[in-house]
Amino acid sequence: MHKLWAVIRREFQTRVQSKAFVISTILGPLLMGFMMVMPILMASRETGSKRIVVIDGAGGNFGQSLERELSEARRGGGTDAQPRYEVIRIAARGRVQAVQDSLVPFTGLARDTVHRLDGLLIATDSAVDAGVVKYLGDNVGSMSDMGMLENFIQNVILSERLQRRGVDPAIVRAASGRVNLVTAKISEGRLTGESGAASFALAYAMAFILYLALLIYGIQVMTSVLEEKSNRIMEVLASSLTPFQLMAGKVVGVGAVGLLQLGIWVGTAMFLSHNAVAIAGFFNMPPESAAQMPLPAICWDLLIVFLAFFTVGFFLFAAAYAAVGAMCNTMQEAQQYSTAVTLLVAVSFFSIFSLLNDPNGSLARVFSLIPFFAPIVMPVRYSLTSIPLYEVALSFAITVLGLFGVAWIAGRIYRVGILMYGKKPSLKEVFHWVRTS
Amino acid sequence: MNETILKLDRVTKRFSGHVAVRELSLEVPKGGIFGLLGPNGAGKTTTLRMIMNIIVPDQGKVVLFEGQKSGREYSDRIGFLPEERGLYKKMKVVDHLAFLGETKGMNRKVAIQKAREWLERLGLHDWTAKKVEDLSKGMQQKVQFIGTLLHDPELVILDEPFSGLDPVNSEVMEEVVVEIARSGRTVMFSTHNMEQAEKMCDRVVIIARGVKALDGSLSEVKEGYGKRNIALTFGSGGGGKAARVLQDPSLVSTLNDSGTSAELELAPGASSQRLLRSLVEAGVELLRFEVVNPSLRSIFIAKVGAEAATPVASEARNA
Repeated sequence: MHKLWAVIRREFQTRVQSKAFVISTILGPLLMGFMMVMPILMASRETGSKRIVVIDGAGGNFGQSLERELSEARRGGGTDAQPRYEVIRIAARGRVQAVQDSLVPFTGLARDTVHRLDGLLIATDSAVDAGVVKYLGDNVGSMSDMGMLENFIQNVILSERLQRRGVDPAIVRAASGRVNLVTAKISEGRLTGESGAASFALAYAMAFILYLALLIYGIQVMTSVLEEKSNRIMEVLASSLTPFQLMAGKVVGVGAVGLLQLGIWVGTAMFLSHNAVAIAGFFNMPPESAAQMPLPAICWDLLIVFLAFFTVGFFLFAAAYAAVGAMCNTMQEAQQYSTAVTLLVAVSFFSIFSLLNDPNGSLARVFSLIPFFAPIVMPVRYSLTSIPLYEVALSFAITVLGLFGVAWIAGRIYRVGILMYGKKPSLKEVFHWVRTS
Repeated sequence: MNETILKLDRVTKRFSGHVAVRELSLEVPKGGIFGLLGPNGAGKTTTLRMIMNIIVPDQGKVVLFEGQKSGREYSDRIGFLPEERGLYKKMKVVDHLAFLGETKGMNRKVAIQKAREWLERLGLHDWTAKKVEDLSKGMQQKVQFIGTLLHDPELVILDEPFSGLDPVNSEVMEEVVVEIARSGRTVMFSTHNMEQAEKMCDRVVIIARGVKALDGSLSEVKEGYGKRNIALTFGSGGGGKAARVLQDPSLVSTLNDSGTSAELELAPGASSQRLLRSLVEAGVELLRFEVVNPSLRSIFIAKVGAEAATPVASEARNA
C-alpha cells in the first residue's frame, strides 16, 4: 500500500509542479471571469447605432411605418437604452434602382468616415405582397443582426398587410408588438430562478468540461505509459512494483490532478456566479446586468452528481488509455487504438444535443445505462430535469461495474504490454494476453 | 555453512522458437562478487530477468534466499540495475532517488537522507536539486547506480553496469561494488569486459549461446587451464618477426595476438624455454616474457571460441 501511494504521489507531484498545470489552472478562472464581464462591457461600450437608409419605393405608409418601427428599436436595457438604428427614409417611388446605385458607394466604408452608411433597406410593394425585402449592408454576415432586423420588418409587414385589408390601424398597433418569452426553470417542484438560456449553457458547459477533461487527462495517462516504456524506466519499475501498482498508481495520480484542476475551475465558476452582483459593482456596471452574465447558479446536488460520475468515468477511460499505452511503443501506433477510445467519449458528448431536446427520452435512458456514455450523459440530464434517485443510482452502479470490468482487462494487458517492445500487437494477440496473463 | 543466496536449477527460456537459455544451473553463495560472463546475445540479460521474475522460465526453478517466493516479492532485499535503464527526465534527482527508495519499501525521509549521502559520496552533491535531464549521461548512470543501492539490499544484481562509463567513473563504481561486497553483501554483475571481471570477481560463470561453459571460483577456473600460458610484450618490430615462431604448432597451441603483446598457450610437449630460444634466435626484441596464469579473456576465447561467441540468428527476440 505504501508503494502504491508512492507511485500516486509521484504522478501527482510531477504534474502539479509542471508549468503547464500552473498556467492552465490560472488561465481557466481568468478566462471565465473574462467571459462573464466582457460581453457586458462590450455591449455598453458599443459606439453608435447602425445608420440605415430606407429606400421607399412602396405605396402607402409602408415606408414610414418601417422608419418608425426601426427608430423605436432599442438596445441595452433600462434607463441606459440606446437607439439601435439611425434611420433615414428617402422617398424613391419609381426610381429605387437609381437611388440604390447612388448610395452604395457610401455604404460599408471605414468606421470613422463621416458620411457613411451601414445598410440600405429597400421597401417595395412586392415586399408587402410577397414578403421579400432586400437589405444591402456590411453586417449581413452577422446572424444576430439579420435575425433582429428580420423580426422588426416582419412586424411592419404584418401590420401593413392587415391595414391594407381594412383593419383599423389602432387595432393593428395594439395587436402587433413583439412577444417576449420569459423562461424560468422549475426543478423538483421549486422555482430555481434560472432562465432557459442559462440551463442550456450549464448543460453544455458541463458536458464540454467532462469531454475535455476525459480527453486531456486520459491521453496524458497514455503518453506517460509510452514515455516510461521508451525511456526504459519501466524496466526498473517492473522489478520492484507490480503491474497493478504501476497502473493504478498512474491512473489515480493523474485523476487526482484532473480533479484538482476541475475543482479549482468549478469552484471559481461557483464563486463568480454567486457573487455576480458584487462583481458587476466592481466594474461599475448596473446590478441588473448581473442577471445577464452567462454563468448560471450551480446547486450542490448537481455538483455531487457531476463529480461522482466524472471520477468513475475518468478512471474507466484512463484505464483504457493506459492499456493502449502499454500495448504500443510509439505515439503513432497508439493513435489507432486511442482514437477508438476517444470516439466513445465523443459519442457521449454529441448526444447531449438530443438530450437537450428530450432529457427523459429513450436515447437518454439507454445511454445512461451504458458505462461508456453514462459519465457525461447522466450529469447533463440531471442538470436539465429532475431524475428519480433510483435511476441515478442504477446508472452509477452500472458505470462502476463497467469500471471494474475495464480495469480488469486493462490490467491484464498492462501486465504483458509494459515490457513488450517490438511490433504493435494485433487485436488477436491482445486477446491472447488477456486470457493467459 | 555459507548460505546460497541464489540458485538456478536447470532454467530454460525460449523465445519464438529460439532457445535463449538452456538448462542453466548455478549457485551464488552469500557475500562476494559473482560474475556472469558471456558474449553479446549469450543469454545473460534473459537470465537476470528470470531471476527477478520479470520474465518467467519455461522450465526449471529460481530459488532466492533459499525461500519460496519470486523475485519481485523479495524486491526489497534485492537491488536490480537492468541493462536498458532509464530515468524520469523531468524529476529532480533527489526526488527521483527518494521515489526509487520508496518503491523498495523505504520510508521517504530515510530515502531522502540516504540519497543525499550517496550523491555526496559520488560527487553529485551540486546536482541534488537539479532535474535529471540536466545531467550528463555519465552522471545519470551514477544516479541509476545509487538508485539500485539506496535501500541497502542484501543482493545486488547489475546488468552490464559499466558499459558506457569513462575510466574515472568506472573506477568509482568499482570501488563501491568492492566495498559493498566486503561488508557482507552479494553482488552479481554481468559483463563481457573480461579484464574488469578478472579484477573484481570471486566466482564466475561463463555462458555462451544460452549454455553454461564454465563455473567456479576465479582461481579454480584459472588453475583448470594450467600453467602453460606465456604473456609476451614485443619491442619495436618484434611482433612481425615473431610471427613465424608463433605460428609453429609444435610450440604454440593457442595464440591471442594483440600486435605489441600476445598471450599464448604452449603446445603439449613444448617447453617455455624452447619457445624463448626460438624467439631470440629469430631476432625478436622482447620486453616481457612471463609464464602466467591464463587471463580470463584467453580462457574465455579458448573455451567459447570465436564461433560460439556469435549467437544463432533467430527471429526478433521479445524484449
